Amino acid sequence: MNWADLNLVPVMPEIFLISALSVILLLDLFISDAKRGITYGLSLLTLAGTAALQVYTFEPYAQYTLSNMFVADPLASLVKLAMYGATAMILVYSRQYAADRDMFKGEFFTLALFALFGMNVMVSASHFLSLYMGLELLSLSLYALIALQRDSVPATEAAMKYFVLGALASGLLLYGMSMVYGATGTLEIAAIAKSIHGGSANQLLLVFGLVFLVAGLAFKLGAVPFHMWIPDVYQGSPTAITLMIGAAPKLAAFVFIFRILVQGLDGLTGDWQSMLAIMAVLSMAIGNITAIAQTNLKRMLAYSTISHMGFLLLGLLAGNEQGYSSALFYAVTYVLTTLASFGVIMALSRAGFECDKLEDLKGLNSRNSWYAALMLLTMFSLAGIPPLVGFYAKFAVIKAIVDIGLVKLAVFAVAMSLIGAFYYLRVVKHMYFDEVQDTSPIVVRGDMQLVLSLNALALLVLGVLPERLIEICVEAMKQSLTVL
Amino acid sequence: MLTLTHFLVLAAILFAISVLGIFLNRKNVIVLLMAIELMLLAVNFNFIAFSHYLSDTAGQIFVFFILTVAAAESAIGLAILVVLFRNLQTINVEDLGSLKG
Amino acid sequence: MSFPTVVFYVLSAILIFAGLRVITAKNPVHAALYLVLAFFTSAGHWLLLESEFLAISLVLVYVGAVMVLFLFVVMMLDINFEKLREGFWKNAPLAGTVGLIMVGEMVLILMSPEASLGSYKGAAPLAADASNIRELGRLIYTTYLWPFELAAVVLLVGMVAAIALTMRKRKDTKFVNPGDQVVVRRDDRVRLVKMAAVKRSEPVAEAESADQQA
Repeated sequence: MNWADLNLVPVMPEIFLISALSVILLLDLFISDAKRGITYGLSLLTLAGTAALQVYTFEPYAQYTLSNMFVADPLASLVKLAMYGATAMILVYSRQYAADRDMFKGEFFTLALFALFGMNVMVSASHFLSLYMGLELLSLSLYALIALQRDSVPATEAAMKYFVLGALASGLLLYGMSMVYGATGTLEIAAIAKSIHGGSANQLLLVFGLVFLVAGLAFKLGAVPFHMWIPDVYQGSPTAITLMIGAAPKLAAFVFIFRILVQGLDGLTGDWQSMLAIMAVLSMAIGNITAIAQTNLKRMLAYSTISHMGFLLLGLLAGNEQGYSSALFYAVTYVLTTLASFGVIMALSRAGFECDKLEDLKGLNSRNSWYAALMLLTMFSLAGIPPLVGFYAKFAVIKAIVDIGLVKLAVFAVAMSLIGAFYYLRVVKHMYFDEVQDTSPIVVRGDMQLVLSLNALALLVLGVLPERLIEICVEAMKQSLTVL
Repeated sequence: MLTLTHFLVLAAILFAISVLGIFLNRKNVIVLLMAIELMLLAVNFNFIAFSHYLSDTAGQIFVFFILTVAAAESAIGLAILVVLFRNLQTINVEDLGSLKG
Repeated sequence: MSFPTVVFYVLSAILIFAGLRVITAKNPVHAALYLVLAFFTSAGHWLLLESEFLAISLVLVYVGAVMVLFLFVVMMLDINFEKLREGFWKNAPLAGTVGLIMVGEMVLILMSPEASLGSYKGAAPLAADASNIRELGRLIYTTYLWPFELAAVVLLVGMVAAIALTMRKRKDTKFVNPGDQVVVRRDDRVRLVKMAAVKRSEPVAEAESADQQA
């Protein structure tokens, strides 16, 4: 490598993020607990600066740099901007929540930003090594974030479970990567694709490795039959951390799968399509049916996540540009909806009280009709009721698989969404038609009220006017696929 | 004459032992962590064997980074274990009863 | 059989035995020590594969640091290990069968003619003065610059996380800050009191004045 050829411009957002992060890490040591708001403000400023650099360095084509280990393409830029937004919203939502639970410490912000940095690396990786390092950065930060509430038994249990299963998933993933490396003789994603298309790869080793890769990816995404950690971790973690696990990492995981399966193992589409199809069907069925039996709101949303991941896989297995861009649209809007739903849960929680049971929502409308309306919007969007954005996301995915002739699968997906609508509507029934049980006042910081309201209203606006976002997703996918 | 098959089969046996260990020691978190280390060792075997027989150093570099990450990972894993023990006075995963799987 | 082949089989036998003992040992200290044995043996295997640097760093990093950390934690926590092993042997037959089937399947795939692993010939033995460390070092600081920087961040995360999770300030601690001790000046500790000279008084009166002072 020649230093003169080193193009660092596409990496600028990452460099800025990690530098600012290091400054915050040091400054925070000199800030007393009472002034922790400074760390909070600096973290938000860092996110804004990173996003600005991301927009500033944007190019409408794929740029490879750092010995082809880093790629900046429109897909990466779009997903990264969404992740900055999601992280900023999580920080705003969790300010009061964390302060009430002795979690409003410097590490809360630095680890959240470390996790974001890891996701950035994953999203921009064009080499197995950078994919792996990004994944581990994200996972390690999340393990620590869950256990950050040190005296809480459920949180530490959840951290331990997440750690063991996460490490197991990394092991499976690495075993798969080693087999792909053996079969193709390279670790670079573009070179792997070339080797497979050129027919020089060892087919048996490749398929053998693919099995382990898909199992590892499914673990990380939380698709059935590798989903058992999701409900426990979602329920056990403090809600702010649940949101950090459940929002932006899903986007990063989607791009992770896209880079490995679509960009790298394009030549094996037939093999992984059938594996994804089985997992998608099982995820939608088990996620939706088990969610009905839940009485814990966070656990119910965890099973709902599993079913949504099934939908995401459905878009991926369509195996064409339309499918991928619909899956991307699905992922982005799903993250927005998750932010709103957990945001409302955090708004309704207070010191010493977690609003995590279904009964806690009873009669919410008579307590505070605005929050009931926001929750109504998110539940309708998750259920896929028009004109909310969840409907368009499901519609786009189903259209993509109908177009490739998988009508049975599409019918199954629709049926499962109908079953799913039942438990979302049950939440709405609790809020509007049940007697109030808990009459304590709802106190929410002003900035959170504003952001949360905008967040939930965005679901409605995007539902009425989805064209622009769909267009962006299609354009981003087109650029990433022409690289091949 | 040693061939690639020798090393890959050895790695596969190690991998299977570690998976077995994870299922057998579901209660004992510390042995669980050791089984995970064993799994990473099996993966490293694969990479080094391929790297040698492909005469390509990329595999060895990958192992170098896996070793680094694994060290950080076990530090965090043990830290979580210590926090868990302080809360529960046990590391029995089955005692983690408040979360039903 | 050539000498390397004999070495391979001897080391492999030790490695598999050590691996099995790691997952079945009664006492976690023994398990950790068997894991050390497994790492040592693997380092021998890696030498056979001409990756000297990794063999050495496996011993230094794993045996020297990670396993010592494991042993620390095992010994620090007061755990009733007998209780943890309840039901261990009840699951063993099923798990053992599943494990054997798994090994069998993986070996069948790897040894099948379709895998054609024989086509991987490997390089000719390296020259006597070839340096594995130099080669890796050259790559890590040039081509693999990005992962190298990321590794630094991973270690930083590990450090921040481990400290954030386990460091506690105890309220009853008698910790003294050496910095404060060093910068202390005479005036902070010694107070010279100027007292008027008084006549020796009766012992009773002296006791009274002491009471008043207190």
